[in-house]
Amino acid sequence: MVVSPSPGARKASTVAVFVLAVTALFVYVGEVVTHVSGGVVAQAPVEGVSAEAGEAVYFGKGKCSTCHSIGDRGSAIRGPNHGVSAQFDTPMGLRAEERARERSQATGRPFTATEYLVESIVDPGAYVVSGYKNEMPLVYRPPIALKPDEVRAVILFLQSLGGEVSSEAIKLPETILRAADESRAAPWAPYLKGDPQAGAALFFDEESKAGCARCHTVNGRGRDVGPELSTVAGTRTPQFIVESILQPSAVIASGFEPYLVETRDGRYRTGVLKARNDRGLTLKTERGELLIIPAADIREVAPQETSIMPGSFADDLSLTQFHDVLAFLLTLTGEDKEAAAGKGAANGKAQASSAGGGHAR
Amino acid sequence: MTMPLRASTLMTGAAIGLAVVAAGQALGAEPEATYRTFFGFDPRTSVWIVAELHLLFAAFVLGVPMFAVITEIIGVATGDARYDRLARDFTRLLSAAFATTAALGGLLAFMLFSLYPGLMSFLVGVFQLSFYIYALLFFAETFTLYFYYYSWDRLQHRKSLHIAAGVLLNVAGIAILGISNSWATYMMSPSGIDPRTGAFVGTLWEAINNPLWNPLNVHRLLGNLVFGGLVAGTYAAVRFLASDDPAERAHYDWMGYVGNFIAMSALILLPFAGYWLGREVYSFSPVMGNNMMGGAFSWTFIIQAIGIGGLLILGNFYLWLGMDRIPGAERYQPFVKFILSILVVSFAIWLTPHNLPLSSEEQVRMGGQYHPTLKYFGLMPAKNAVINFMILSTFFSFLLYRRGNVSRAVPFSRQGRWAKGITLGVSALVAAYLLYYGLWLINADPRMLDLGPEKQRYFLLPGYALLGQAAFVGVAVLLTFVDRGKPGQVLLFAYTALNTVFVLGIYGFVVMAEASPLLRNLAVAQWISLLSCIIVNATIDVFLFRRAEHLGALRWGRMPALSQYVLILLSMWAVLTMGIMGFIRSGLRENWHVFGVLQDTSAWAFTPTNAYAARVIGLCALIFFALVFVAFWLSELGEKHRQTAAAAGEASPARPA
Repeated sequence: MVVSPSPGARKASTVAVFVLAVTALFVYVGEVVTHVSGGVVAQAPVEGVSAEAGEAVYFGKGKCSTCHSIGDRGSAIRGPNHGVSAQFDTPMGLRAEERARERSQATGRPFTATEYLVESIVDPGAYVVSGYKNEMPLVYRPPIALKPDEVRAVILFLQSLGGEVSSEAIKLPETILRAADESRAAPWAPYLKGDPQAGAALFFDEESKAGCARCHTVNGRGRDVGPELSTVAGTRTPQFIVESILQPSAVIASGFEPYLVETRDGRYRTGVLKARNDRGLTLKTERGELLIIPAADIREVAPQETSIMPGSFADDLSLTQFHDVLAFLLTLTGEDKEAAAGKGAANGKAQASSAGGGHAR
Repeated sequence: MTMPLRASTLMTGAAIGLAVVAAGQALGAEPEATYRTFFGFDPRTSVWIVAELHLLFAAFVLGVPMFAVITEIIGVATGDARYDRLARDFTRLLSAAFATTAALGGLLAFMLFSLYPGLMSFLVGVFQLSFYIYALLFFAETFTLYFYYYSWDRLQHRKSLHIAAGVLLNVAGIAILGISNSWATYMMSPSGIDPRTGAFVGTLWEAINNPLWNPLNVHRLLGNLVFGGLVAGTYAAVRFLASDDPAERAHYDWMGYVGNFIAMSALILLPFAGYWLGREVYSFSPVMGNNMMGGAFSWTFIIQAIGIGGLLILGNFYLWLGMDRIPGAERYQPFVKFILSILVVSFAIWLTPHNLPLSSEEQVRMGGQYHPTLKYFGLMPAKNAVINFMILSTFFSFLLYRRGNVSRAVPFSRQGRWAKGITLGVSALVAAYLLYYGLWLINADPRMLDLGPEKQRYFLLPGYALLGQAAFVGVAVLLTFVDRGKPGQVLLFAYTALNTVFVLGIYGFVVMAEASPLLRNLAVAQWISLLSCIIVNATIDVFLFRRAEHLGALRWGRMPALSQYVLILLSMWAVLTMGIMGFIRSGLRENWHVFGVLQDTSAWAFTPTNAYAARVIGLCALIFFALVFVAFWLSELGEKHRQTAAAAGEASPARPA
């Protein structure tokens, strides 16, 4: 005998389905918003003191762009626009010279354009542009806590906006240099202290859940589908490496951008674009195969935002395994190649480098 | 029937005891352990889920007593016994929810002390005494809840004493809320810190009374009231849908209406509190403030905007559906399409982002990074204007709903001295505040906002607009006194819409370009203007229709099933929006446990994507609703048991004396 559910139970089921559907809709909205807004934008580590590095700090760690725009670049209006805008006829590099003259008159001591720029960061309240509030934070103090070289880089970038770029002219006062020593910002440290030898074994063992060597090489070991990692710890910050493993699509290393090719017979091929000319193109697949596709067979070529590196390591690796691999990668400073290659990898199934596809990071 | 409450007390005691033990363990924990994992799982997400569930239940057990006492007071004031029964039913629901809240609170404390010993050691150093006060207040809340529930029959004829017990229960609950808010806000806006060393050198009160404490207190208090009303509405909706008995359906329809009414009354005020909180975040740290709306969380704000706008639209929709059960309300149906148009257009503007990540090809097609027209909709002045319009429209909808059943207004001159005194008093206070803020703006020194004296002229328009608002309040009251209350209300509505939405709304763009620090004061002027209209027009409306003739009995229970799904959707939407707001509030600290003082150095010191946040929040919402439905079911079991026992008692012969 089949017992049909009571009307109450049927109503309860309908309500439950409704609740699930609403939740699913909400999750979908989250996915769509993330897709539209570009998701996580990992900040590339800033190296050296240059206008380019300053630009990266300006739009990244320094958070300058959350208050300032540069001409049409950005939409922040809380602070003065640093480019040419309806309000300002000259970009910041040039404007600084005019401001320096004003500061000379106001203080009775000579000011150069660079000194004005330094003052605007060291003591933002000393001169507040008309129409704006004195609320700029001290960027060399927490929570932003820029280091002296990062401050120098930002000033170089501001100089480059129409002014004369001169790193020699930048004289940071003791306030900033001392702040760096006093900074309460703790240096980054891994969550767990991993074992680099165990990490090396996981890295080179292509059968392991990590199996990084299936795509990456370290000191000649592994395949060259993805970027070479022999000196990764010397050129990338630990946070960047963590993000690269957990969210490979956040920043895709230059030269390893994935492409989707639709062929005229309706097939789709994905890989890293290695070469392209009038005759066709060459893709390197995630298995390391080189695919040569003649131009006549190609219907469409589209760059992809998703790396071909698997994005599932957060699920696949245990916390300990993840930190072991990280610990190994952090030894790859390039200073001691022998050590970096990982003596502990002797037991790993190191594979000879072979031709293969490339991918992110 | 007494079991759940006894169990809840035991669990509360156990949870607090365990939390104190956990605190002790943390204090004696090995110093080098900064972070641990939760059985191999990501500790941040683990704490996130447990904290959010605890907060949702806490909102329930704080919101429902507010709802219960308010409905009990309404019952006493109106003499309608249904309100008393409703208040009692909801207090009964608290028992299972209270135990769950306490258990989750204990688990959360355990997890925090175990997984984040470094952070908790720091917080214990600052807040140690408050932990003990918190525990004592928890006991106070438990005992007052006991007293409030079990004295219901005994104090049936001493209602003022019973209501006083309910108020005490809420005082304890609000004090608990205040203390836990101080911990959360201290992590965002720490005070009493030596800026050079980062060490805490202040007093406990300085730490509690940090810059974001009161804004969050007010926001959460109102939010809990909204939440309590909406959960009550959901309970009623589920019971309505499950029942085929017309009498039961009528009761649960009415219950849903009351829940929604209280929720909407508080929801109308919630954006004001939200604005205050946001403004104080900016004032405390422009870095954090910019991160909120112009940085990492700007797109999360779009989701939040969908949540807030959705709540307002759904609340209106429920009112409109409810008009079907009101004889006479059909007179007001033609207004609905206009209100709907305003809401939809305002909603669209409300969630328009300013900045879209576009490819260069897309930018070329659009003619630049921003759309030539739509770019204005993404800016703050547009947002302020449309949220005001949505609130004003919701209030208008509500007034139409109130009037649906009455034939015509009673001449104000017949309403007696009390009515006149209250109307005059309320409008005088409102007008006085409008005049105060308006004159303050007109005479303000721009230098207080770091603006040059030449910017003073930008202060004048909002100042005079508020003086105009005060004048219109006066005109509306004057017309009411000469029995022309309705035209008075219309005039006040019209001026408010013109002033807050169009004049000050559009002027916001000018201020933004020429004197941007003034924008915050301009927004305050808009809020004050809107609030003055709501307060004065609501007061006039109460006395215009007091003792008015009704056009027939309300047809309770004659609601389509759709209306009940709207009620369920409202509470779900509230839970999801609360989750998003919590994600933003907590995430603003970025890689700091205590903003600018104690850094998060774990591997999880990064901001997750909105997609990830939506998944976690969605999961929490599902778990919460599942647990709430279990709590409802348990409560019903107890009630059925009581009714069966009572029936058996009546059937059995009386015991010999």
